[in-house]
Amino acid sequence: MKTRSIEAIIAPPNAHYVGDGFRVHNFIPGGHNSGMQRMNPFIMLDYNSKFYFPPTDTPRGVGVHPHRGFETVTIAYKGSVAHHDSSGNSGVIKEGDVQWMTAASGVLHNEFHEKEFSKAGGDFQMVQLWVNLPAKDKMSKPKYQAITHDQINKFQLPQNGGSIEVIAGNYEGVHGTASTFTPVHLLNVHIKKGVKVPFSFPQNYHTALLVIKGNVKINGVENAPSDHFALFQNDGEAFNIEATEDATVLVLSGEPIDEPIAARGPFVMNTNEELSQAIKDYNMGKFGFLED
Amino acid sequence: MIPENFKNYLINKGGLTLSEFDHLASSLQSKKVSKGHTFLREGEVCQQSFFVEQGLLRSFTIDDSGKEHIIQFAPENWFISERSSIFFNEPAEFFIEAIEDSTVVLIDKDFMIIAAELSAVFREYNERLLHNHIRHLQKRVNQLLSAPAEKRYLNFINLYPDLLLRVPQWMIASYLGITPESLSRVRKDLATKNFKQ
Repeated sequence: MKTRSIEAIIAPPNAHYVGDGFRVHNFIPGGHNSGMQRMNPFIMLDYNSKFYFPPTDTPRGVGVHPHRGFETVTIAYKGSVAHHDSSGNSGVIKEGDVQWMTAASGVLHNEFHEKEFSKAGGDFQMVQLWVNLPAKDKMSKPKYQAITHDQINKFQLPQNGGSIEVIAGNYEGVHGTASTFTPVHLLNVHIKKGVKVPFSFPQNYHTALLVIKGNVKINGVENAPSDHFALFQNDGEAFNIEATEDATVLVLSGEPIDEPIAARGPFVMNTNEELSQAIKDYNMGKFGFLED
Repeated sequence: MIPENFKNYLINKGGLTLSEFDHLASSLQSKKVSKGHTFLREGEVCQQSFFVEQGLLRSFTIDDSGKEHIIQFAPENWFISERSSIFFNEPAEFFIEAIEDSTVVLIDKDFMIIAAELSAVFREYNERLLHNHIRHLQKRVNQLLSAPAEKRYLNFINLYPDLLLRVPQWMIASYLGITPESLSRVRKDLATKNFKQ
Protein backbone atom coordinates (compact mmCIF):
# COMPACT_ATOMS: atom_id res chain seq x y z
CA MET A 1 0.00 0.00 0.00
CA LYS A 2 1.35 3.40 -0.98
CA THR A 3 1.95 6.02 1.67
CA ARG A 4 -0.19 9.11 1.60
CA SER A 5 2.04 12.14 2.05
CA ILE A 6 1.44 15.49 3.70
CA GLU A 7 0.75 18.51 1.54
CA ALA A 8 0.91 21.05 4.37
CA ILE A 9 0.79 21.42 8.12
CA ILE A 10 -1.31 24.52 8.63
CA ALA A 11 -0.98 26.67 11.74
CA PRO A 12 -4.26 28.08 13.08
CA PRO A 13 -5.16 31.21 11.08
CA ASN A 14 -6.16 34.32 13.08
CA ALA A 15 -9.34 33.67 15.03
CA HIS A 16 -12.57 35.48 14.22
CA TYR A 17 -15.92 35.43 15.96
CA VAL A 18 -19.04 33.75 14.63
CA GLY A 19 -21.74 35.61 16.54
CA ASP A 20 -20.25 36.34 19.96
CA GLY A 21 -19.97 32.74 21.15
CA PHE A 22 -17.65 30.99 18.71
CA ARG A 23 -14.06 32.15 18.43
CA VAL A 24 -12.87 30.15 15.47
CA HIS A 25 -9.92 29.45 13.21
CA ASN A 26 -11.12 28.65 9.73
CA PHE A 27 -9.18 25.76 8.16
CA ILE A 28 -11.59 24.97 5.30
CA PRO A 29 -11.94 26.70 2.86
CA GLY A 30 -9.65 29.49 4.12
CA GLY A 31 -6.71 27.77 5.81
CA HIS A 32 -4.84 26.92 2.67
CA ASN A 33 -6.75 29.39 0.47
CA SER A 34 -7.86 26.33 -1.35
CA GLY A 35 -11.60 26.85 -1.74
CA MET A 36 -14.42 24.43 -1.12
CA GLN A 37 -13.44 21.79 -3.69
CA ARG A 38 -10.04 20.99 -2.18
CA MET A 39 -11.44 19.00 0.77
CA ASN A 40 -14.91 18.32 -0.70
CA PRO A 41 -17.14 16.74 0.68
CA PHE A 42 -15.78 18.70 3.68
CA ILE A 43 -16.54 22.23 2.55
CA MET A 44 -16.08 24.21 5.76
CA LEU A 45 -14.26 23.61 9.00
CA ASP A 46 -14.27 26.15 11.82
CA TYR A 47 -12.26 25.27 14.90
CA ASN A 48 -12.87 26.96 18.23
CA SER A 49 -9.53 26.14 19.89
CA LYS A 50 -9.70 25.87 23.68
CA PHE A 51 -10.79 29.29 24.90
CA TYR A 52 -12.02 30.48 28.27
CA PHE A 53 -15.35 32.29 28.29
CA PRO A 54 -16.03 34.12 31.56
CA PRO A 55 -19.40 33.68 33.34
CA THR A 56 -22.37 35.58 31.93
CA ASP A 57 -26.14 35.67 32.44
CA THR A 58 -26.70 36.28 28.74
CA PRO A 59 -25.55 33.21 26.80
CA ARG A 60 -23.19 33.92 23.94
CA GLY A 61 -23.79 32.38 20.55
CA VAL A 62 -25.14 32.87 17.06
CA GLY A 63 -28.63 34.22 16.47
CA VAL A 64 -31.19 32.89 14.03
CA HIS A 65 -29.73 31.92 10.65
CA PRO A 66 -30.64 29.52 7.83
CA HIS A 67 -28.78 26.68 6.10
CA ARG A 68 -29.51 24.82 2.88
CA GLY A 69 -27.74 22.23 0.76
CA PHE A 70 -25.39 20.47 3.21
CA GLU A 71 -24.97 19.03 6.70
CA THR A 72 -23.47 20.69 9.77
CA VAL A 73 -21.53 18.52 12.17
CA THR A 74 -20.77 19.94 15.60
CA ILE A 75 -18.22 18.11 17.73
CA ALA A 76 -18.00 19.34 21.32
CA TYR A 77 -14.68 18.82 23.09
CA LYS A 78 -15.27 21.29 25.91
CA GLY A 79 -18.35 23.26 26.93
CA SER A 80 -21.90 22.77 25.73
CA VAL A 81 -24.20 24.31 23.15
CA ALA A 82 -27.98 24.58 23.05
CA HIS A 83 -29.78 24.83 19.73
CA HIS A 84 -33.34 25.56 18.60
CA ASP A 85 -34.88 25.44 15.15
CA SER A 86 -37.97 26.69 13.38
CA SER A 87 -39.59 23.23 13.34
CA GLY A 88 -39.59 23.17 17.12
CA ASN A 89 -36.57 20.88 17.55
CA SER A 90 -34.09 21.71 20.26
CA GLY A 91 -31.31 20.03 22.16
CA VAL A 92 -28.02 20.37 23.98
CA ILE A 93 -24.66 19.22 22.63
CA LYS A 94 -22.49 18.36 25.63
CA GLU A 95 -18.82 17.60 26.02
CA GLY A 96 -17.97 14.53 23.92
CA ASP A 97 -21.23 14.65 21.95
CA VAL A 98 -21.70 15.08 18.23
CA GLN A 99 -24.61 16.68 16.48
CA TRP A 100 -25.03 15.72 12.85
CA MET A 101 -27.65 18.03 11.36
CA THR A 102 -28.79 17.49 7.81
CA ALA A 103 -29.96 20.96 6.81
CA ALA A 104 -30.72 19.75 3.25
CA SER A 105 -33.77 21.70 1.95
CA GLY A 106 -33.61 24.16 4.81
CA VAL A 107 -33.21 24.73 8.51
CA LEU A 108 -33.56 27.98 10.42
CA HIS A 109 -31.85 27.76 13.79
CA ASN A 110 -29.79 29.39 16.50
CA GLU A 111 -26.88 28.09 18.56
CA PHE A 112 -25.96 29.46 22.00
CA HIS A 113 -23.75 28.36 24.83
CA GLU A 114 -25.93 26.28 27.14
CA LYS A 115 -27.39 28.32 30.01
CA GLU A 116 -25.65 26.64 32.95
CA PHE A 117 -22.31 26.59 31.11
CA SER A 118 -22.73 30.31 30.41
CA LYS A 119 -23.48 31.08 34.05
CA ALA A 120 -20.47 29.16 35.31
CA GLY A 121 -18.13 30.14 32.48
CA GLY A 122 -15.38 27.80 31.38
CA ASP A 123 -13.23 26.38 28.64
CA PHE A 124 -14.92 25.99 25.31
CA GLN A 125 -13.56 23.91 22.43
CA MET A 126 -15.51 22.75 19.38
CA VAL A 127 -15.32 21.86 15.74
CA GLN A 128 -18.01 22.78 13.27
CA LEU A 129 -17.76 21.00 10.00
CA TRP A 130 -19.93 21.35 6.91
CA VAL A 131 -20.36 18.18 4.89
CA ASN A 132 -21.61 18.70 1.35
CA LEU A 133 -24.61 16.85 -0.03
CA PRO A 134 -24.85 15.48 -3.56
CA ALA A 135 -27.25 17.39 -5.83
CA LYS A 136 -29.90 14.67 -5.58
CA ASP A 137 -30.07 15.05 -1.78
CA LYS A 138 -29.70 18.80 -1.39
CA MET A 139 -33.46 19.32 -1.22
CA SER A 140 -34.26 16.30 0.93
CA LYS A 141 -35.99 16.64 4.27
CA PRO A 142 -33.94 18.07 7.16
CA LYS A 143 -33.05 15.68 9.99
CA TYR A 144 -30.92 15.41 13.11
CA GLN A 145 -28.64 12.77 14.50
CA ALA A 146 -28.03 13.76 18.10
CA ILE A 147 -25.21 11.46 19.11
CA THR A 148 -24.19 11.40 22.75
CA HIS A 149 -20.66 10.43 23.69
CA ASP A 150 -21.63 6.98 24.99
CA GLN A 151 -23.47 6.17 21.73
CA ILE A 152 -20.34 6.62 19.62
CA ASN A 153 -18.90 3.25 18.59
CA LYS A 154 -15.30 2.80 19.69
CA PHE A 155 -12.30 0.78 18.63
CA GLN A 156 -10.10 0.04 21.64
CA LEU A 157 -6.38 0.12 20.95
CA PRO A 158 -4.38 -2.74 22.45
CA GLN A 159 -2.52 -2.37 25.75
CA ASN A 160 -4.64 0.56 26.90
CA GLY A 161 -3.10 2.67 24.15
CA GLY A 162 -6.29 4.65 23.75
CA SER A 163 -9.40 4.48 21.60
CA ILE A 164 -10.74 5.54 18.28
CA GLU A 165 -14.29 6.91 18.27
CA VAL A 166 -15.89 6.20 14.95
CA ILE A 167 -18.31 9.07 14.45
CA ALA A 168 -18.91 8.09 10.83
CA GLY A 169 -17.49 5.61 8.34
CA ASN A 170 -15.46 2.82 9.87
CA TYR A 171 -12.18 1.86 11.46
CA GLU A 172 -10.93 -1.73 11.69
CA GLY A 173 -14.44 -3.15 11.36
CA VAL A 174 -16.04 -0.75 13.84
CA HIS A 175 -18.82 1.12 12.09
CA GLY A 176 -19.61 4.79 12.57
CA THR A 177 -22.63 5.81 14.58
CA ALA A 178 -23.78 8.52 12.16
CA SER A 179 -25.28 7.72 8.79
CA THR A 180 -23.99 9.74 5.85
CA PHE A 181 -25.17 10.43 2.28
CA THR A 182 -21.77 9.80 0.66
CA PRO A 183 -18.76 7.85 1.97
CA VAL A 184 -17.26 9.83 4.87
CA HIS A 185 -14.92 8.75 7.64
CA LEU A 186 -14.84 10.91 10.74
CA LEU A 187 -12.76 9.65 13.66
CA ASN A 188 -11.86 11.03 17.06
CA VAL A 189 -8.53 9.47 17.86
CA HIS A 190 -7.42 9.45 21.50
CA ILE A 191 -3.92 8.02 21.88
CA LYS A 192 -1.36 7.84 24.64
CA LYS A 193 2.18 9.03 24.30
CA GLY A 194 4.29 6.65 22.20
CA VAL A 195 1.32 4.89 20.58
CA LYS A 196 1.27 4.69 16.80
CA VAL A 197 -1.90 4.02 14.78
CA PRO A 198 -2.28 3.24 11.09
CA PHE A 199 -5.00 4.58 8.78
CA SER A 200 -5.90 3.78 5.23
CA PHE A 201 -8.44 5.43 2.98
CA PRO A 202 -8.90 5.16 -0.80
CA GLN A 203 -6.39 7.35 -2.62
CA ASN A 204 -9.00 9.67 -4.14
CA TYR A 205 -10.59 10.47 -0.74
CA HIS A 206 -9.81 13.98 0.49
CA THR A 207 -8.10 13.54 3.81
CA ALA A 208 -6.93 15.76 6.68
CA LEU A 209 -6.49 15.77 10.42
CA LEU A 210 -6.77 18.34 13.17
CA VAL A 211 -4.76 18.02 16.36
CA ILE A 212 -7.17 18.86 19.16
CA LYS A 213 -4.80 18.11 22.01
CA GLY A 214 -1.17 17.06 22.40
CA ASN A 215 1.34 16.53 19.68
CA VAL A 216 1.67 13.92 16.93
CA LYS A 217 4.19 12.78 14.37
CA ILE A 218 2.75 11.83 10.99
CA ASN A 219 4.39 9.11 8.86
CA GLY A 220 7.32 9.20 11.25
CA VAL A 221 8.53 12.53 9.95
CA GLU A 222 6.14 15.45 10.06
CA ASN A 223 5.40 17.00 13.41
CA ALA A 224 1.89 18.36 14.02
CA PRO A 225 1.40 20.30 17.27
CA SER A 226 -1.96 21.01 18.89
CA ASP A 227 -4.41 23.23 16.99
CA HIS A 228 -2.61 22.49 13.72
CA PHE A 229 -4.32 21.08 10.64
CA ALA A 230 -2.57 18.56 8.41
CA LEU A 231 -3.70 18.37 4.81
CA PHE A 232 -2.85 15.16 2.96
CA GLN A 233 -2.14 14.71 -0.71
CA ASN A 234 -3.98 12.17 -2.86
CA ASP A 235 -0.84 10.23 -3.70
CA GLY A 236 -1.46 7.11 -1.62
CA GLU A 237 -3.77 5.45 0.87
CA ALA A 238 -1.93 4.76 4.10
CA PHE A 239 -0.52 6.98 6.79
CA ASN A 240 0.15 6.69 10.47
CA ILE A 241 0.18 8.99 13.43
CA GLU A 242 2.23 8.60 16.56
CA ALA A 243 1.57 10.56 19.74
CA THR A 244 4.68 12.31 21.01
CA GLU A 245 2.52 13.28 23.99
CA ASP A 246 -1.02 12.16 24.93
CA ALA A 247 -3.12 13.36 22.03
CA THR A 248 -6.61 13.78 20.59
CA VAL A 249 -6.83 14.03 16.83
CA LEU A 250 -9.82 14.45 14.54
CA VAL A 251 -9.29 12.51 11.32
CA LEU A 252 -11.47 13.21 8.31
CA SER A 253 -11.53 11.48 4.96
CA GLY A 254 -14.26 11.48 2.35
CA GLU A 255 -15.03 10.64 -1.25
CA PRO A 256 -15.14 13.85 -3.31
CA ILE A 257 -18.56 14.75 -4.67
CA ASP A 258 -17.83 15.42 -8.30
CA GLU A 259 -20.24 18.31 -8.83
CA PRO A 260 -19.96 22.09 -9.10
CA ILE A 261 -20.28 24.14 -5.89
CA ALA A 262 -22.08 27.47 -5.70
CA ALA A 263 -21.86 28.93 -2.20
CA ARG A 264 -23.20 32.08 -0.64
CA GLY A 265 -23.05 32.57 3.12
CA PRO A 266 -25.14 29.82 4.71
CA PHE A 267 -26.24 28.21 1.42
CA VAL A 268 -24.20 25.71 -0.59
CA MET A 269 -25.80 24.59 -3.84
CA ASN A 270 -24.65 23.57 -7.33
CA THR A 271 -25.70 26.62 -9.35
CA ASN A 272 -26.17 30.36 -8.88
CA GLU A 273 -29.85 29.97 -9.79
CA GLU A 274 -30.29 27.59 -6.86
CA LEU A 275 -28.55 30.10 -4.60
CA SER A 276 -30.91 32.89 -5.70
CA GLN A 277 -33.82 30.56 -5.06
CA ALA A 278 -32.48 29.78 -1.57
CA ILE A 279 -32.24 33.50 -0.79
CA LYS A 280 -35.76 34.07 -2.14
CA ASP A 281 -37.17 31.19 -0.12
CA TYR A 282 -35.49 32.47 3.01
CA ASN A 283 -36.82 36.01 2.46
CA MET A 284 -40.34 34.64 1.91
CA GLY A 285 -40.41 32.63 5.13
CA LYS A 286 -40.09 29.19 3.52
CA PHE A 287 -37.49 28.23 6.12
CA GLY A 288 -40.04 28.95 8.82
CA PHE A 289 -39.76 31.48 11.61
CA LEU A 290 -37.78 31.63 14.82
CA GLU A 291 -37.88 34.58 17.22
CA ASP A 292 -34.46 36.22 17.70
CA MET B 1 -5.56 48.64 -8.60
CA ILE B 2 -8.28 49.09 -11.18
CA PRO B 3 -11.71 48.62 -9.70
CA GLU B 4 -13.01 45.88 -11.99
CA ASN B 5 -16.70 46.11 -11.13
CA PHE B 6 -16.73 49.86 -11.64
CA LYS B 7 -14.87 49.50 -14.92
CA ASN B 8 -17.35 46.89 -16.16
CA TYR B 9 -20.18 49.05 -14.99
CA LEU B 10 -18.99 52.14 -16.88
CA ILE B 11 -18.19 50.19 -20.03
CA ASN B 12 -21.07 47.72 -20.17
CA LYS B 13 -23.81 49.91 -18.76
CA GLY B 14 -22.45 53.44 -19.16
CA GLY B 15 -21.29 52.90 -22.74
CA LEU B 16 -17.74 54.22 -22.26
CA THR B 17 -15.15 52.75 -24.60
CA LEU B 18 -12.08 51.11 -23.16
CA SER B 19 -9.88 54.01 -24.24
CA GLU B 20 -12.29 56.53 -22.72
CA PHE B 21 -12.17 54.58 -19.49
CA ASP B 22 -8.36 54.43 -19.55
CA HIS B 23 -8.26 58.19 -20.05
CA LEU B 24 -10.36 58.67 -16.90
CA ALA B 25 -8.97 55.87 -14.77
CA SER B 26 -6.06 57.84 -13.31
CA SER B 27 -8.40 60.04 -11.28
CA LEU B 28 -10.10 57.05 -9.66
CA GLN B 29 -9.15 55.93 -6.24
CA SER B 30 -10.31 52.73 -4.63
CA LYS B 31 -10.13 52.23 -0.93
CA LYS B 32 -10.35 49.20 1.35
CA VAL B 33 -12.07 50.01 4.61
CA SER B 34 -13.12 48.12 7.70
CA LYS B 35 -16.67 47.77 8.93
CA GLY B 36 -17.62 51.00 10.72
CA HIS B 37 -15.54 53.33 8.53
CA THR B 38 -17.29 56.68 8.06
CA PHE B 39 -17.13 58.19 4.57
CA LEU B 40 -19.25 61.25 5.28
CA ARG B 41 -20.50 63.00 8.42
CA GLU B 42 -23.60 65.09 8.73
CA GLY B 43 -22.67 68.76 8.36
CA GLU B 44 -19.64 68.18 6.13
CA VAL B 45 -19.77 69.14 2.48
CA CYS B 46 -19.75 65.94 0.46
CA GLN B 47 -16.94 65.95 -2.14
CA GLN B 48 -17.28 62.49 -3.60
CA SER B 49 -19.66 59.79 -4.67
CA PHE B 50 -19.01 56.20 -3.71
CA PHE B 51 -19.32 53.06 -5.80
CA VAL B 52 -19.27 49.79 -3.88
CA GLU B 53 -16.92 47.22 -5.44
CA GLN B 54 -17.24 44.82 -2.54
CA GLY B 55 -19.07 45.05 0.77
CA LEU B 56 -21.93 47.19 2.00
CA LEU B 57 -22.49 50.86 2.87
CA ARG B 58 -25.43 52.69 4.34
CA SER B 59 -26.56 56.29 4.63
CA PHE B 60 -28.43 57.34 7.75
CA THR B 61 -29.44 60.21 9.99
CA ILE B 62 -29.52 60.38 13.76
CA ASP B 63 -32.53 62.12 15.28
CA ASP B 64 -32.59 64.32 18.39
CA SER B 65 -33.26 61.32 20.61
CA GLY B 66 -30.21 59.51 19.22
CA LYS B 67 -32.20 57.07 17.06
CA GLU B 68 -30.76 56.10 13.67
CA HIS B 69 -32.84 56.19 10.50
CA ILE B 70 -31.49 54.40 7.45
CA ILE B 71 -32.01 56.15 4.14
CA GLN B 72 -30.24 53.79 1.78
CA PHE B 73 -28.19 50.60 1.64
CA ALA B 74 -25.52 50.25 -1.03
CA PRO B 75 -24.32 46.68 -1.67
CA GLU B 76 -22.01 45.66 -4.54
CA ASN B 77 -22.40 47.70 -7.75
CA TRP B 78 -24.45 50.43 -6.10
CA PHE B 79 -23.66 54.14 -5.95
CA ILE B 80 -24.20 56.08 -2.77
CA SER B 81 -23.64 59.77 -2.11
CA GLU B 82 -25.21 62.94 -0.73
CA ARG B 83 -26.23 64.41 -4.07
CA SER B 84 -27.60 67.71 -2.78
CA SER B 85 -24.49 68.34 -0.76
CA ILE B 86 -22.23 67.63 -3.74
CA PHE B 87 -24.25 69.54 -6.32
CA PHE B 88 -25.33 72.54 -4.25
CA ASN B 89 -22.22 72.61 -2.11
CA GLU B 90 -24.19 72.59 1.13
CA PRO B 91 -23.75 70.70 4.41
CA ALA B 92 -24.61 67.02 4.21
CA GLU B 93 -27.84 65.92 5.86
CA PHE B 94 -26.68 62.42 6.65
CA PHE B 95 -23.83 60.04 7.38
CA ILE B 96 -22.36 57.44 5.02
CA GLU B 97 -20.73 54.46 6.66
CA ALA B 98 -19.47 50.96 5.84
CA ILE B 99 -21.40 48.18 7.58
CA GLU B 100 -19.15 45.43 6.25
CA ASP B 101 -15.46 45.40 5.39
CA SER B 102 -15.66 47.04 1.96
CA THR B 103 -13.78 48.09 -1.14
CA VAL B 104 -15.15 51.37 -2.40
CA VAL B 105 -14.36 53.55 -5.44
CA LEU B 106 -14.14 57.22 -4.52
CA ILE B 107 -15.46 59.30 -7.39
CA ASP B 108 -14.58 62.99 -7.51
CA LYS B 109 -17.39 65.27 -8.49
CA ASP B 110 -15.56 66.20 -11.69
CA PHE B 111 -15.34 62.60 -12.83
CA MET B 112 -18.92 62.37 -14.04
CA ILE B 113 -18.72 65.80 -15.69
CA ILE B 114 -15.56 64.89 -17.61
CA ALA B 115 -16.96 61.48 -18.52
CA ALA B 116 -20.11 63.16 -19.82
CA GLU B 117 -18.04 65.60 -21.90
CA LEU B 118 -16.03 62.75 -23.29
CA SER B 119 -18.93 60.53 -24.27
CA ALA B 120 -22.42 61.41 -25.43
CA VAL B 121 -23.49 57.85 -24.74
CA PHE B 122 -22.37 58.16 -21.16
CA ARG B 123 -24.06 61.57 -20.78
CA GLU B 124 -27.36 60.03 -21.77
CA TYR B 125 -26.76 57.11 -19.47
CA ASN B 126 -25.87 59.33 -16.54
CA GLU B 127 -29.05 61.32 -17.03
CA ARG B 128 -31.05 58.14 -17.04
CA LEU B 129 -29.30 57.12 -13.84
CA LEU B 130 -30.32 60.40 -12.23
CA HIS B 131 -33.94 59.87 -13.25
CA ASN B 132 -33.80 56.34 -12.00
CA HIS B 133 -32.63 57.69 -8.67
CA ILE B 134 -35.52 60.16 -8.58
CA ARG B 135 -37.95 57.37 -9.42
CA HIS B 136 -36.55 55.29 -6.57
CA LEU B 137 -36.88 58.18 -4.12
CA GLN B 138 -40.44 58.96 -5.25
CA LYS B 139 -41.48 55.37 -4.72
CA ARG B 140 -39.80 55.33 -1.35
CA VAL B 141 -41.58 58.51 -0.17
CA ASN B 142 -44.91 57.21 -1.39
CA GLN B 143 -44.35 53.86 0.29
CA LEU B 144 -43.24 55.35 3.59
CA LEU B 145 -46.40 57.46 3.64
CA SER B 146 -48.91 54.92 2.47
CA ALA B 147 -47.83 51.28 2.29
CA PRO B 148 -48.55 48.66 4.96
CA ALA B 149 -45.55 46.99 6.62
CA GLU B 150 -45.81 43.77 4.59
CA LYS B 151 -45.74 45.62 1.29
CA ARG B 152 -42.71 47.62 2.41
CA TYR B 153 -40.95 44.37 3.33
CA LEU B 154 -41.83 42.68 0.02
CA ASN B 155 -40.51 45.66 -1.94
CA PHE B 156 -37.38 45.60 0.17
CA ILE B 157 -36.51 41.95 -0.52
CA ASN B 158 -37.18 42.57 -4.18
CA LEU B 159 -34.76 45.52 -4.25
CA TYR B 160 -32.13 44.03 -1.94
CA PRO B 161 -32.49 40.22 -2.16
CA ASP B 162 -29.57 39.21 0.06
CA LEU B 163 -29.57 41.93 2.71
CA LEU B 164 -31.70 39.98 5.15
CA LEU B 165 -28.71 37.64 5.45
CA ARG B 166 -26.22 40.47 5.82
CA VAL B 167 -27.65 43.13 8.14
CA PRO B 168 -29.31 42.98 11.54
CA GLN B 169 -33.10 43.12 11.67
CA TRP B 170 -33.17 46.50 13.40
CA MET B 171 -31.44 48.09 10.43
CA ILE B 172 -34.00 46.67 8.04
CA ALA B 173 -36.82 47.86 10.30
CA SER B 174 -35.16 51.29 10.44
CA TYR B 175 -34.95 51.43 6.62
CA LEU B 176 -38.59 50.39 6.33
CA GLY B 177 -39.73 52.94 8.91
CA ILE B 178 -41.35 50.28 11.11
CA THR B 179 -40.49 48.90 14.54
CA PRO B 180 -38.39 45.72 14.80
CA GLU B 181 -41.47 44.11 16.39
CA SER B 182 -43.63 44.77 13.38
CA LEU B 183 -40.90 43.52 11.02
CA SER B 184 -40.81 40.36 13.10
CA ARG B 185 -44.61 40.09 12.83
CA VAL B 186 -44.51 40.49 9.04
CA ARG B 187 -41.87 37.76 8.72
CA LYS B 188 -43.79 35.48 11.05
CA ASP B 189 -46.99 35.94 9.01
CA LEU B 190 -45.13 35.14 5.80
CA ALA B 191 -43.57 32.04 7.36
CA THR B 192 -46.99 30.90 8.58
CA LYS B 193 -48.25 31.13 5.00
CA ASN B 194 -45.20 29.67 3.26
CA PHE B 195 -43.45 27.21 5.61
CA LYS B 196 -44.22 23.59 4.85
CA GLN B 197 -42.54 21.08 7.14
